Amino acid sequence: MIDRKIAPAIRDVEEINFLTPKKVLIDNQLPFYSLENTGSDAVKLDLYFSAGTIVNNPLVANFTAGLLFSGSSTKSSEEIHNEIDDLGGFVDINVSHEYAILSLYSLNSQLLELLHVVLSALNDVTFPEEEVKELLKDRKQKLKVNLGKVNYLAQIELQKRLFKGTLYGKTIELNDFDTINRTLIQDFYDTYYRKGINKVSLIGNVNDDDTKAIHALLGPWYKKKISPKSMTFNPEKGVFHVEKAGALQSGIRVAKIMFDKHHADYHGFNVMNTIFGDYFGSRLMKNIREDKGYTYGIGSMLAEIYQNGYFAIMTQVGKKFVDPTLDEIKIEMDKMRNELVGEQELTMVRNYLMGQSLKAADGPFSMMDLFLQVEVADLDYSFYNRAIHVLKTITPQEIKALAQKYLIWDEMLVITAGQQLN
Amino acid sequence: MIQFERFELANGLKVIFHKDMTTPMAVVNTLYDVGARDESENQTGFAHLFEHLMFGGSINIPEFDSPLQNAGGESNAFTSNDITNYYNLLPAQNIETALWLESDRMLSLAFSKKSLEVQRSVVIEEFKQNYLNQPYGDVWLELRPLAYQIHPYKWATIGKEIKHIEDATLDDVKAFFKKYYHPSNAILCIAGNFELAELKTMVQKWFGDIPKRKKPPRIIPAEPKQEALRIKRIERDVPADCFYYAFKMAERKSEGYYIADVLSDELSKEKSSKLYLQLKKELQLVTEINTYILGSIDEGLLVITGKIAPGKTLEELDAALWLVLDQYKTIPISEQELKRLKLKIRTSREFQEQGLLNRAMNLCFFELLGDANGINEEAQIYQAIEASHLLELAQSVLRKENCSLLQVKSIPSKKKSIPKVKSIQK
Repeated sequence: MIDRKIAPAIRDVEEINFLTPKKVLIDNQLPFYSLENTGSDAVKLDLYFSAGTIVNNPLVANFTAGLLFSGSSTKSSEEIHNEIDDLGGFVDINVSHEYAILSLYSLNSQLLELLHVVLSALNDVTFPEEEVKELLKDRKQKLKVNLGKVNYLAQIELQKRLFKGTLYGKTIELNDFDTINRTLIQDFYDTYYRKGINKVSLIGNVNDDDTKAIHALLGPWYKKKISPKSMTFNPEKGVFHVEKAGALQSGIRVAKIMFDKHHADYHGFNVMNTIFGDYFGSRLMKNIREDKGYTYGIGSMLAEIYQNGYFAIMTQVGKKFVDPTLDEIKIEMDKMRNELVGEQELTMVRNYLMGQSLKAADGPFSMMDLFLQVEVADLDYSFYNRAIHVLKTITPQEIKALAQKYLIWDEMLVITAGQQLN
Repeated sequence: MIQFERFELANGLKVIFHKDMTTPMAVVNTLYDVGARDESENQTGFAHLFEHLMFGGSINIPEFDSPLQNAGGESNAFTSNDITNYYNLLPAQNIETALWLESDRMLSLAFSKKSLEVQRSVVIEEFKQNYLNQPYGDVWLELRPLAYQIHPYKWATIGKEIKHIEDATLDDVKAFFKKYYHPSNAILCIAGNFELAELKTMVQKWFGDIPKRKKPPRIIPAEPKQEALRIKRIERDVPADCFYYAFKMAERKSEGYYIADVLSDELSKEKSSKLYLQLKKELQLVTEINTYILGSIDEGLLVITGKIAPGKTLEELDAALWLVLDQYKTIPISEQELKRLKLKIRTSREFQEQGLLNRAMNLCFFELLGDANGINEEAQIYQAIEASHLLELAQSVLRKENCSLLQVKSIPSKKKSIPKVKSIQK
């Protein structure tokens, strides 16, 4: 009989293979990264535009992205979508703060044709008045739905106060819809989308002939990357409440401006934050969900923005649990600041994060993400090797010092959104 | 083609092994043949509450997640109306840790009182977060009992009401475990770079001595044939009127299921569909419209849902919708459109099959349906569908007498809708 009380021996993750994508400069200027996808016909092609929300006008950036396939001088929106669908393709646009990514999902046999359809639609978008009106109507209704969610209310309030006075702090309001017009959108498109690709990534098996043809199609679309302006932030501190009558639960955010991947404390902070709130076994989850049952989920993260970053704790709790939850968050911060992490917990977090790194490097789709996350910050894979080194060698004393430096309640911006108890 | 091997232990545990030599990770996925459809009507939400308790410690191991995290892994689970599925993803060299944990909770739970109390509270917060505290959150709590009168699909996996979750006792938990959580009611799939012989030895070592129990019989009342259109209108403080047309459709194992799946794509999955073009683009009656199928094992639902555009009404939409649906019932889809739908299905499949976890979960699910190899046969079934099949199915499914309609009418709140912000002294 086996003794079930004894855990099987575990073996450390010793090696992680970071594959560097192949890099070609199309026409000596447009970076084209590619990774093969062994044993599959699935292909993903990403086109990068300097068309994010902080380059100029966040609202216009969002609406323009939603209208890229709304019609060209030769084809209607319907015709363009028919062509994309005929090729069995899927097209998706994602707008982040700094850039917009247009993703094409396709079978390898269809990719060249799909790219042709997409680029020709993108080449002279005419923004028909009807299409613009329709999108604004749809988005306005979506915003109204979102304004009924306490998590959304907490999130935008955080954005407004943490990034006050900058484009990061501009959120979409209902009356903004009256200020947007076709001309603003057309101008944004002309400046940031038309012939505006600054980077391309391809995952999948594409034959040499098609690859050459793809390069030829993309070459003329090159435009140098437009870097956002550097910003300094003057975040508000203190506790703010957004009242939402009738809400059964409240959204909670606790946040602070932090730093980006270049900061000396970055890797150490990540380990500290994992222990504190960034995995299922974290202190916040163990206490506030698994011991108290105040919430379905709670977590903390270090989010990145251009040349900067912010730390945020996020949760949604029953309205009678708001104050107890904030109290417990304070208690957990104090524990991180005042007590050394035990060896057992630290070992678990080291092992867990090594497993996560192994997973993050598993397969070409994940690998391309890993690569581009450092590429965009002008870093390379040595960043991950450094992360692993810190993970393996950081001491409980160093973790405590990081908590003392950064987890300071009085420096936090606290947002609650919901119905306040009387 | 997804390769796999299959074997069964003496205690009735079905095991599927999917070898993937390209990954350093491994998946241990366990499907239990129990879902919300197995609950009694005055104790709904129990299968899902139970899923939470499966992480609260087992007979020999005080905590589930810590040892797994210590081995570099992570885990999660989900409950549907049909099944409960648990997975672990971890570095392949530590697979025994997952087998140890998963087998111990199949052997017996710790049945801790504290775990029940805490998870009861967590699930109540989950109920509020997903169903009660957001616009349109409760529509499925309303639509299910409209579409199903007898079949247990008439309640959602979260449960009919919070009270059922509040009332659950530790004795209920023990009885549920005894009935449903044992080898002959489970399917295990292991995926990763292993040799079959070593894998068999490991599985036998950890799962072989779990006592065999009888697979519980499933007696579910058949839903009577729907004879007439059912309409329910609810009023809510939401920003726009909203509609759900739910049509009964074939069970998971029948050919009609696949045809209905393609029909739902034809209807409005993409921006080139008739429904989208006529109701949204041309008549501008809706701001969004979508069609999907539930994918349930027993008789399912094909749902057309959307939101009414400002200035338009539910009545205008209703009249126009039935006219468009009539076109689907009289004009066969063109060869080009059919080819397009099939090609999109192929593209989607290629992407879905990228994930190791996805493959493991699907292998378990198809084995539950009768044969894990079903996962490889699906592509052919889809490709064999013809225009005449879609026409016939539209005629038999998209009928008023086969439809349950839920309308959500927007009523303005008496309170101010713009949230007020205030600063609070610390």
